[in-house]
Amino acid sequence: MQPFVFPRWSNKLVHLAGAVLGVAPLYLIGLVWYGASPKTLDVGYAPKQPVPYSHALHAGELGIDCRYCHTTVEQAAHAAIPATETCMNCHQRIHTRSPKLEPIRASAASGLPVEWTKVHDLPDYAYFNHSMHVDHGVGCVSCHGRIDTMEVVAQHEPLSMGWCLDCHREPEKFLRPVDEVTNMNYAPPAGQTQLAAGLELRREHGINPPTDCSTCHR
Amino acid sequence: MAAVVDLPELQGDGTAGDAPATPKDYRVWQTDSGGDNPFAKITDTVIRIVETPKPPRAWYIAIAISLSWVGLLVLSLSRLFWEGIGIWGNMNPVGWGWDIVNFVFWVGIGHAGTLISAILFLLRQNWRTAINRAAEAMTIFAVICALIFPATHIGRPWLPYWMLPIPNQMDMWPQFRSPLDWDVFAVSTYFTVSLTFWFMGLIPDLASIRDRADTNGRRIVYGILAMGWRGSARQWHRYERAYLILAALSTPLVLSVHSVVSFDFATSQLPGWHATIFPPYFVAGAIFSGFAMVVTLLIPARQFFGLKNIIEIRHLEQMNKIILATGTMVGYAYAMEFFIAWYGASHYEQFTFINRAFGPYAWAYWTMVSCNVIFPQLFWFRKVRTNLGAMMVICVLVNVGMWFERFVIIATSLARDFLPAAWGYFVPTIWDFSTFLGTFGVFFTLFLLFCRFLPMVATAEVKAIHPAAHGH
Amino acid sequence: MPSMNEDQRYWRSLTELATPSDEREAGPEFETPLDAPSQEERRHFLKLGAASIALASTTACRWHEDHLLPHTQQPEGVVPGVPRYFTTAMELGGAALGLRVKSYDGRPIKIDGNPNHPDSLGATGARHQAAVLGLYDPDRSSSFVHIAGGARSKVTETDFRVFSRPHFAALKAKQGRGLYVLSGSSSSPSVADMKARWHAYYPEARWYEYEPVSSPNERLGSQLAFGAPFKTVLRLDRARVILSLDADFLAARADSLVLARDWARGRQPESGQMNRLYVFESSLGETGAVADHRYSLRAEHIKALAAHLEGELSKRLGAPGVAQPAPAAKFLEEPALRKLVNAVIGDLASQPGTSLVLVGATQPPEVHALGHRINAVLRNLGTTVQYVAAEPSESSPAESIRSLSEDMLAGRVETLLILDSNPVYTAPGDIDFAAALAKVPTKVSLGLYLDETGRKCDWHVPQAHFLEAWGDGRASDGTISVQQPLIAPLYGGKSEIELLAMLSGDAVSGGLEIVQRSLAKVASEPRLWRKAVHDGVIPGTALPIQQPALRPIAAFEYSRGELSGVEPEQGQLELVLAADPKLYDGRFSNNGWLMELPDGATKLTWDNALLISPNTAQALGVKDGMLVTVSIEGQSLRVVAWLSPGQATGSLKLYLGYGRTAAGRVGGDEENPDAAVGVGVNAYRLRSKKVWDFARGAKVEPSSDRYRVASTQDKHGIDKIGKYGTAERLPMLVREATLTEYEEHPDFAKHVVHHPPLLSLWQDPVKPEGHRWGMSIDLNKCTGCSGCVIACQAENNIPVVGKERVAMGREMQWLRIDRYFKGDPEQPETVNQPVPCMHCEHAPCEQVCPVGATTHSHEGLNDMTYNRCIGTRYCSNNCPYKVRKFNYFNFHEDLKDEKNQVQQMVYNPDVTVRFRGVMEKCTYCVQRIQEGKFRASRENRPLRDQEITTACQDSCPTQAISFGDLSDSKSEVSQRKASSRDYSLLEELNVRPRTTYLAMVKNPNPELS
Repeated sequence: MQPFVFPRWSNKLVHLAGAVLGVAPLYLIGLVWYGASPKTLDVGYAPKQPVPYSHALHAGELGIDCRYCHTTVEQAAHAAIPATETCMNCHQRIHTRSPKLEPIRASAASGLPVEWTKVHDLPDYAYFNHSMHVDHGVGCVSCHGRIDTMEVVAQHEPLSMGWCLDCHREPEKFLRPVDEVTNMNYAPPAGQTQLAAGLELRREHGINPPTDCSTCHR
Repeated sequence: MAAVVDLPELQGDGTAGDAPATPKDYRVWQTDSGGDNPFAKITDTVIRIVETPKPPRAWYIAIAISLSWVGLLVLSLSRLFWEGIGIWGNMNPVGWGWDIVNFVFWVGIGHAGTLISAILFLLRQNWRTAINRAAEAMTIFAVICALIFPATHIGRPWLPYWMLPIPNQMDMWPQFRSPLDWDVFAVSTYFTVSLTFWFMGLIPDLASIRDRADTNGRRIVYGILAMGWRGSARQWHRYERAYLILAALSTPLVLSVHSVVSFDFATSQLPGWHATIFPPYFVAGAIFSGFAMVVTLLIPARQFFGLKNIIEIRHLEQMNKIILATGTMVGYAYAMEFFIAWYGASHYEQFTFINRAFGPYAWAYWTMVSCNVIFPQLFWFRKVRTNLGAMMVICVLVNVGMWFERFVIIATSLARDFLPAAWGYFVPTIWDFSTFLGTFGVFFTLFLLFCRFLPMVATAEVKAIHPAAHGH
Repeated sequence: MPSMNEDQRYWRSLTELATPSDEREAGPEFETPLDAPSQEERRHFLKLGAASIALASTTACRWHEDHLLPHTQQPEGVVPGVPRYFTTAMELGGAALGLRVKSYDGRPIKIDGNPNHPDSLGATGARHQAAVLGLYDPDRSSSFVHIAGGARSKVTETDFRVFSRPHFAALKAKQGRGLYVLSGSSSSPSVADMKARWHAYYPEARWYEYEPVSSPNERLGSQLAFGAPFKTVLRLDRARVILSLDADFLAARADSLVLARDWARGRQPESGQMNRLYVFESSLGETGAVADHRYSLRAEHIKALAAHLEGELSKRLGAPGVAQPAPAAKFLEEPALRKLVNAVIGDLASQPGTSLVLVGATQPPEVHALGHRINAVLRNLGTTVQYVAAEPSESSPAESIRSLSEDMLAGRVETLLILDSNPVYTAPGDIDFAAALAKVPTKVSLGLYLDETGRKCDWHVPQAHFLEAWGDGRASDGTISVQQPLIAPLYGGKSEIELLAMLSGDAVSGGLEIVQRSLAKVASEPRLWRKAVHDGVIPGTALPIQQPALRPIAAFEYSRGELSGVEPEQGQLELVLAADPKLYDGRFSNNGWLMELPDGATKLTWDNALLISPNTAQALGVKDGMLVTVSIEGQSLRVVAWLSPGQATGSLKLYLGYGRTAAGRVGGDEENPDAAVGVGVNAYRLRSKKVWDFARGAKVEPSSDRYRVASTQDKHGIDKIGKYGTAERLPMLVREATLTEYEEHPDFAKHVVHHPPLLSLWQDPVKPEGHRWGMSIDLNKCTGCSGCVIACQAENNIPVVGKERVAMGREMQWLRIDRYFKGDPEQPETVNQPVPCMHCEHAPCEQVCPVGATTHSHEGLNDMTYNRCIGTRYCSNNCPYKVRKFNYFNFHEDLKDEKNQVQQMVYNPDVTVRFRGVMEKCTYCVQRIQEGKFRASRENRPLRDQEITTACQDSCPTQAISFGDLSDSKSEVSQRKASSRDYSLLEELNVRPRTTYLAMVKNPNPELS
């Protein structure tokens, strides 16, 4: 019987195979790297909320301070979602008929809460504390982006561990005076770079964010 | 290479006669199965095994049994993944039980092959050629079995890849100070190199099968596997070079793998683990158990597949001599551990060894000593060395003994370490047994498939050292 | 919400939170209009409920959508996610302990002692710590139950009222004839008040008190000695020489916590003055374990010993009236005992006014009377022992349960009201209470569980847990504390006083109003009341100190046993039946934390065993773990025998409180298929007319069967080699000296282990500046009470794993208390050594973790990152202290069951709940460290010493544990580590543990050395 011989065309195959074997792994790695990264998965997550609440309007145009609604950011780990009555403070008088506000009025009447959907959601084993950041001059915008321009709130940063560490390692890149934390378009004082200003603040307040595991994981 | 030479008569015992013969084209005498050509005979005996439509009944029985064990392994591991490793006997203080015992056991077995084909090759130990192919195969299968354990024994078996340095959004890297990480690299490297080495060695024989193929299936499958091998002098030249390079590459690996495995223990601070003697002691033990396993497998193999004329008694005898040597080394290590414990004057170290020999695990300790040190001494006698039955029994015992060596090291040291209040006693569960048996299933299945479908002996190498090849 | 009035604005369970709109999920209470929640109330519930949604376990996966439920109206002063603290009180066996409870968004999750309370001073015991688990026990009875002809049906409160109104009206019509009440004893003024009102309302009703494990002998003794009942208030801090006659006063008294504190104050060798503790006891107790001189003596022998002491001391110091003649007791001829007794006499006589003699509660009244006399002879009255008036003793529990069952059998009982008491289970073996109960036409039971008794009654009323209801109670010195609810009744339960009010046509029905009414005298105006609730105690309510005068007592009669020798006689053995140190009389037997807590002496979990001394066992042919039949006075029981060093020769001990048949899934429940089975045996079955606390005449028959017990130490027994090894290293592990030795070599502890200079391969992971956390444990103060173990379990969400797994060695407690014995097994010396994670600076665990899941923080903490751990267990293998615990399974699996989800309300939201396959260990309560640092940094000030405390430290009654910042040289822990007694365990390994020990210094009597 005729012994097996590789046909002529298989010579081409060899080169092709070589090429594929060379490129495929790189492609795969790239794919996973990009596809699995929080930058891809999480950034831009903007779920539909029960009430089409516009931060652009309230925080932006009307310029309501973040802390008017998110009252606990300075004392607690959680930034509390405002109680229905907070909305009603104004909306008892303004847009009292607006159909968009129906859920709010219903909640106020029934005492059942409005079910907002969580946008910035950290895993349970990560213990983030708002007060520790807000009270040390980390601006809202640094983690939440330009909320004041968002009609619908979307996640702006990956909120991944590596991302947290970037700032914990070099806080000066983001620090600002404590009274500027809620300022959405803060810029370092004229003639000073953010880095310089940040370093100053860091020295001033002795800010050395730890990078120990137990800082966030307990 | 032995393409065209004068070919004297081939006697049964492989000594050369002096009758002249006519030169032939190598292709011709490869296909010519009968005839009186010694090389042809070698090829024929080896390849015929692959070609025979039906393997001996024993093969069927064997593979049936080992496949059922594989099933058992699948069952055990699925339960393990579902429930958690609590189904095993591991507990506090004995965090590592049979899982790691079996891992070290199999890695140890996986030493013979590469040692034979690499080190003995460099040392020009010709007798190795008869057995190196099978030994290498066994090595690879053993390492496969070994790898099952590190992967599955961890608490969250879906995360072992965290031990690999992959960039990730957590900015987290493996902790390179940990011997477990060294293991990952040592064992995987060893596996890759051995595999390449083995496959490359197979190529010429795969080609022979291809050329003798009488069914299309075999023709194509082996054809592809043979990678267009034609046996030209140029190819042979390259082959030899590559062989030498790979041999050189794997030689240090043979020594490094088990040294690194031994670091898991040597670098810890646990009495009974924290010992500088471990690397050489582990390597010796590994070769010891590896050779024992080779002999255990080859005796039936040569019996059933009629390789008596190629894998000769004298080859096995050589193996037994090495077993005797390494066994004695291991014995020396055992003694040394006690001496150092006494000499080191650490209460805890001393207690550990007294406890091993006379504590609740004495039974395991003495099983180990008798199997590994006492029985192999019988190999001093030529009669025993050359008696198939005797060597079979002793080699099986050596394998048992070497498993117990790992058990004694791991379990007894952990069970009674520093604080008496935290002492315990390890008791395996049924799932420990089933998992272990399961790995034997994998091992035997692979080996049986190897016997059936791949050339069990490196014919070219045997020919190369055949007297006929040096008959001027 | 049902029964949620204006003052109790809390929500009930996560199940409801998850589905607020669907009340039907929340249980049958909602079915009747009576219970339908008003909008108002529901709003309150949701307001608080909303805040804690953060707790509902979620993951960050994007395909999982997570919801936020904010308040509708922000309640004043509540910051979601910020815990608040409230005081309350826990009543147990006739005395109340003041507590301070941590409440997280309306969920009580952690109990600590109330620093203002005289019996606590901030400390707690294991039972108090574990109470919070009992609150969220899914096996609690969840509704009213009507049982007719064996058929059980859940009913509503209205249904019950429909029955009770006419029924009790009819009883009222005949002045309450045939109406009986059975209750436990209580110190609560409100209960007393309601009781009085009850008697006024039903003049002819009868009321029985039955506390199965509290003995009246103490009061009877004082009656015998003084002619009137008195309670003792002990001033241990003033005592230099303390003699305990079978009294485990560090554990078994209502004021044990403060006694332990005072005892420990006298154990500071640095002060040059140490008290000396002599203990004669029948079986190894906490007090015996820490004694300077301990002698195992049968309980029955104590009487003669006391008489002997009283006689001798009176001879020396002059007696008030006639002293006891020296008894001709055979056991007193033991040379060792004689030597000891003489030394004791010498020591006591030499310290008039600063010594103290205590008598065990279960000893007969005569012995108590003698105790008072001896203290009088030693001029201790008014100095180390003070007296307050006590209620004249009613009939003993033994008599009351007996006469009640007689009344019941005689058909005199028409209606029986059983208040929080379980006689079907706790009645002695020769009383078939169930049968007697069957003779009663109408039976109503109030209980936390539908227990053995509840199941035999016609009506069952779910009881409100003490954390759910208003109440009050008195401390051992009489101080009143208010019991304030932390959460609305999860199952709409009623408290004892509420039920009494309901059934006695009381105008006032709410618990709060009842308590306010009965405390009107002491906290009338609102301001005082608010202060009382806030502080948890009402100052000035302690009982006045009395100066009773002694009366002469006649010479004693002695039984044969009381004068017998020490050698054991089969058939004449002494059997001691005592309350379990963990489960008490059995009421805590469904509490997993307590059930799995290793016993202080035997380290047993999940079982009670017949404790027997090695010699006795040998004499009887009994082996460790052998099933034996013990019989006494016609009652017999098959139980596993456990050889226990320190058990008196010829004396057997068996703890009560096990072998429940209707406790729940932990304690055992014959009706529940997935309940634990064979959790000990019911020792009450051995009680009878003649046998109560202890008695002579027991017989033990060996058998060939064995029984597997789950002990956390000495697993698989200890062989010769093991014993040798232990003995060899013990002096290095637990460093010990006598006071005299210490005074000669104050730094003896530093010279026990000799090792080469300790050099390290690694560079120091810890920066010198900044905080450096460390812990110091004073072995001189640890009594091994195990309160810290439960405190740790509560703080850190540590799971319960079950008997089988404990037996395998998979218990999860982060803090274990190592117990070692020395010397003769019949008369051993005992040491306790608490072992948490040492937070080594050169931690062997960190070096071997392949994924860096355990790392070193720059403040010196050995961090364990659960979510990074892949579970190789290498760290545990390499840990010389073996303090790391591994999750071999998912130990929180039972939460998958809807019914059990209430359990997750006990979790501390500041600590991750660990999944299967990860390693865990003591973290120095890192969550508290973080919170403390945050607080200080928010308030922009440096941390204060003792601002951050660990859970174990908080609970410790003797303050044996101290935690703090080593960088602060003035911090308490730095001070302690500066002591010459400071040493680190296994220092020769050079792992540099941050947790170190203060070596033990005993104060033995020089005459005896």
